[in-house]
Amino acid sequence: MQGHLIKHFLLVSILTSVSLSLFAQRQYTFNAEGNRCYFNYVCYAPNSNYSNVRRPFVFVLADEYEDPMDVFKADKIKDQPQFYNYLFIYVPNKYGSNTDKLECLESLTSLITFGYAYGHTNVFLRVLDPVIKQTDIDLTGLNKTYKSVQLFEGTNKTLAQDDQIAEDFKEDTEAYGAIKVDDRDQYGTFYVEDEKNEAVVSNQKAVKTYFGPPNEYDFTLTGIVKDRSTGEALPFSTIQIKGTQKGGSSNADGYYTIQQVPSDTVTLIVSYVGFEKTEVFLSPAINKKHFVIELVPTTQELQTVTITGIRQDVVLSKREDVSVIKMTPKKLEQLPNLGERDVMRSFQLMPGVSASNESSSGLYVRGGTPDQNLVLYDGFTVYHVDHLYGFFSAFNSNALKDVQLYKGGFESRFGGRLSSVTEITGKEGNQKKFNMGGDFSLLSMNVFAEIPVGKKFSSVIAFRRSYKGPIYDKIFEKFNTSSSTTTEQTGGGGGFGGNRSQQTKVTSFFYDLNGKFTYKPTTKDIISFSIFNGTDKLDNSSSFASPSFGNSNSNFSMSSTDLTKYGNIGSSLKWSRKWSDKLYGNTILSYSNYYSDRDKSQTRTVTNSDDETTTSSSGIFENNDLKDYSFKSDYEWNPSDFSQLQFGVFATYFDIDYTYAQNDTTTVLDKHNRASLSGAYVQNKFKFLRDRIQFVPGIRASYFETTNKFYFEPRASVTVNLTDKLTLKGATGKYYQFANRVTREDILSGSKDFWLLSDGNSIPVSSAVHYIAGLSYETQNYLFSTEGYYKQISNLTEYSLRFNTSPGGVSYDENFFTGNGYSKGVEFLVQKKSGKLNGWVSYTLGQARNKFAVYSDGYFPANQDVTHEFKAVLMYKYKRWDFSVTWIYATGRPYTAPSGAYTVTLLDGSTQDFFTVTTKNGLRLPDYHRCDMAINYKLLGGVKGDKKRREIGYVGFSVFNLYNRINTWYKQYSIEDGQVIETNVNYLGFTPNVTLSLKLR
Amino acid sequence: MKRMLFVVCSCLALLAQVGCKKSEVSEFTDTPIIEAYLEPGDYLTVKISRQIPFAGNAQYSNDDIDNLMLTVTYDGGTHVLTPLGDGTYIDSTISVTAGGNFSISFQFNSKFVTAYTYIPSKPQNMTQSATEIAIEKMDSTSGPPTQTTQPDPIEIHWTNSDGSYYLVLVENIESVLDPIRDFGDNAPPGNRFRKSPTNLGVEEIRSSDFQYYGTHRIILYHVLPDYASLYESTSTSSQNLTNPSTSIVNGYGIFTGLNSDTLYVEVTQ
Repeated sequence: MQGHLIKHFLLVSILTSVSLSLFAQRQYTFNAEGNRCYFNYVCYAPNSNYSNVRRPFVFVLADEYEDPMDVFKADKIKDQPQFYNYLFIYVPNKYGSNTDKLECLESLTSLITFGYAYGHTNVFLRVLDPVIKQTDIDLTGLNKTYKSVQLFEGTNKTLAQDDQIAEDFKEDTEAYGAIKVDDRDQYGTFYVEDEKNEAVVSNQKAVKTYFGPPNEYDFTLTGIVKDRSTGEALPFSTIQIKGTQKGGSSNADGYYTIQQVPSDTVTLIVSYVGFEKTEVFLSPAINKKHFVIELVPTTQELQTVTITGIRQDVVLSKREDVSVIKMTPKKLEQLPNLGERDVMRSFQLMPGVSASNESSSGLYVRGGTPDQNLVLYDGFTVYHVDHLYGFFSAFNSNALKDVQLYKGGFESRFGGRLSSVTEITGKEGNQKKFNMGGDFSLLSMNVFAEIPVGKKFSSVIAFRRSYKGPIYDKIFEKFNTSSSTTTEQTGGGGGFGGNRSQQTKVTSFFYDLNGKFTYKPTTKDIISFSIFNGTDKLDNSSSFASPSFGNSNSNFSMSSTDLTKYGNIGSSLKWSRKWSDKLYGNTILSYSNYYSDRDKSQTRTVTNSDDETTTSSSGIFENNDLKDYSFKSDYEWNPSDFSQLQFGVFATYFDIDYTYAQNDTTTVLDKHNRASLSGAYVQNKFKFLRDRIQFVPGIRASYFETTNKFYFEPRASVTVNLTDKLTLKGATGKYYQFANRVTREDILSGSKDFWLLSDGNSIPVSSAVHYIAGLSYETQNYLFSTEGYYKQISNLTEYSLRFNTSPGGVSYDENFFTGNGYSKGVEFLVQKKSGKLNGWVSYTLGQARNKFAVYSDGYFPANQDVTHEFKAVLMYKYKRWDFSVTWIYATGRPYTAPSGAYTVTLLDGSTQDFFTVTTKNGLRLPDYHRCDMAINYKLLGGVKGDKKRREIGYVGFSVFNLYNRINTWYKQYSIEDGQVIETNVNYLGFTPNVTLSLKLR
Repeated sequence: MKRMLFVVCSCLALLAQVGCKKSEVSEFTDTPIIEAYLEPGDYLTVKISRQIPFAGNAQYSNDDIDNLMLTVTYDGGTHVLTPLGDGTYIDSTISVTAGGNFSISFQFNSKFVTAYTYIPSKPQNMTQSATEIAIEKMDSTSGPPTQTTQPDPIEIHWTNSDGSYYLVLVENIESVLDPIRDFGDNAPPGNRFRKSPTNLGVEEIRSSDFQYYGTHRIILYHVLPDYASLYESTSTSSQNLTNPSTSIVNGYGIFTGLNSDTLYVEVTQ
């Protein structure tokens, strides 16, 4: 400890003494008299540090007969702040041929840069002699010596204030690390093992190096926040000026702008979930137009004495925004899972998001349904997020970088949904090194590769496929236990004859593929192409053939098809550009398709003795096809310190088809809707009282082609930082939804839903109004948060064949019913953010009610209504082990059941039985509760005994539903001989899983 | 610390407010079943019954099914129906006539139950394509049919200019039934069969529809849409618990008017 202090003192004193001799150039002689390369040259280090070789060098070759000292004096470039830590070397011009003039440069350069100790990357050349051309440079091979050469092109040689120089002679700080520091230090996540009780700083922490006076005041700082290990931009990270409330956050592409930074010597505190909170020291030398902040992923530490950084784990409730939860997929493995790390499942552990839906990866947020949650993946909308009946989400966590959930009261830049927004940003891929890895579990295998090409191109490809392992089978069987028993009436011809052969050929799987390709032509432009394809094929078909039946000579065969195929294809092309320090924009072209084909039918083929074949099918044929073509252009303009204007335009063309048939001739529903939705929004982020108050008013206006109407959505949110720890929040807003997932009520075999576009009549445009108020208290280690919400919903649509609106059954279109609803509730969260033992406890009290005139006169509990929901998540770290336990308790969901029967005698004397049902959702399933746990053991690269070893993966053991609680998913009914047979369809019981995850870095 | 206390207190207050509401669980609702066919020439008769609950612990309301206050409004006057027991109520002062409007109402399980209907017109211009149809006898001893062509179906025509619903019912009126086919181990079918309700002006009766030889009565009912929907419900899949659309409020069943005409046909060997 003492030694550390002395070192610190020494460093400070050296820096102080150097700063006294500021702005002094030095003159040196190269070689001895008589040598062909004998001359005097001038060196100038703006920061007066002449000994550092970890810096860029700019060699300036003077014009003929020009004295280097005169060139030095006239040069204005050297005083530009971005060259503060450079070394300028002014070299005289020897006469003769162009080759002669250049001859000695290389040897001098080699000398001064210590034989290119840090490569050729940061060595630059300016030539002030107009005679020398690029061909001369190429001829002498100097193009290999210097990273960039700037030739004199007839303008005033001292002027050269252009941006080109700043760009051409840009420092590449990574180049130093590449040699000096062990490769492993730079890329990947590390694990520091320390047996002694000694304070070891796990990562190279930034050290304050500049102790001089500030050079600039009230300036605008702009740049990008990146992950140091991969070079990936970090979206929505928080930047705060130490000691003030002032700050900002990076945008979706990692870019940030902070206006009116008090001085260029302040300290920034930069934080991002899953990364260490970092202090960044500004100095006059930094490039204020493009200041790169690099964060280091959290390192596992064992020592108890020092906590070097504040670790923010897995999920985080954002303090500065209303109802926003943020998550980093990187840390997801710490939570228990059912075979797959899953972002959607992890959100379900937070308050306000229902966790009792094992069969839906879609989020039920604050009494809303999954279709009311907008899911944006790299800018395109994903309409269906379920894999394997919803037990897994369609998002491969290996391909994701950042996920944010807006639980309500969201901003004007999002639209088209009533309840919430999930914004997912895909990984751009490691920009420094090739990386690959894979996860292997009892459910699926999952591989990914990150391939950078040059400095400007990066890519990531991830692929996942299930196999029919024990977990897959277990879930699949939930659905398909009874479907193989089929009773067929064969009419008056008697029973089956001959031997029946039954064949079952089952091929079921899901897969998904993610790809993202990013090209950064300049520091201001990002062009990225993202593609996503996920497919589920669930097949439980069987067939049997009987050579003959009855007395006749006919052949009979029957096949039972139970095939569900659904999936998503989505892609987006995005161009982001930082137009200036104050204006940032991105434009997205996107396409999204969701399709679902369901065929649960029996096909009978009868071949009679005359070889005439008749085929008939009966059952359920359901087909839903949704296409979304979108264009979006969003801008952020920071006109002043206290205001950030965001505005944009959008247009979407929807093409949604739905058909539902009960046999090959009866089509119950056949909907084809196409329409465009276009509009614009504007919102402004105001900051008052030294950023203590943030107020965001906004408005969104949309024009919907079908209804030929304009829809205006005014919204506003406010956060007030009463103290450093206590924050008050509020939000309100109006929301419209044009494409809805309509529930098709089916009491007997479980309701299903499908996407439809509003037609303005039987399926109206739905709308909601949100009111949210909350309070949060955050300390270094704890977060206490509570939020209350009230949501009014109008024009909900449900489809039910339970009501015979027109006898004769001409139009099933009339079976769409419109209703209203509301949901309200309060959420509580207590989170311990750091320490070996961390986690959170949350409780939600909620109520979701709907009112459909067709069902009842008053409000009834909505399908997704959950009164009490309690969730606890505990995580504990011990050496290389991670332990976690979660427990979920939720009130049972409401359901409707057949309640009785009655008989009507018809005119011909026969009787007809009818069934009545309970009041809509008048019953409740038993309460849901479940405990999961997980143990992960980290796998390390390197040699045992090394202090710092690279983390290359983990072995995870996870148990789902630890105490084998039987939770009811839904109830199935069959009516046989006037009796109702009730079957409980249950969720998964005790299910263990093992995962092996490996990665290069 | 004070602030923390404030936070906790306000949370608890909110919790108490929302948490005090009783959770509502309602299962079986005792809703009455009405059955009444109002045909010209008959007295107004209504039968009230109860649903059969599925749950063993379901509770009926205290209302006595045989002692309800059923009132009927007809022709501007209100009458109280007389209970006959077993849920049947009658008003012998009202004879049903075509074109009449009827509505009934009563209290049941704290709800006001109502229903209304009217009597449709008598079917017009009912004709038949044949008065006799010859069908070959078939049984296990005679083997497969030797007839190469089926006899032409009998077509029944009537005037239906407004797309009303009609229903054809065929009834064998012989005192001893003489089967056409050997029914084997199956129970012999009844002496009546019906066609599905139609809103056309024609119906076919095929030879295969007939089960017995002898004189048959063909009754053509002019029915209302709510009666037609009883048949509609049976044809849709059982996955939907469809209840027929009726005029009955706070109840189930059928309360409908109808009118008929009759022709005869002879089935011979």
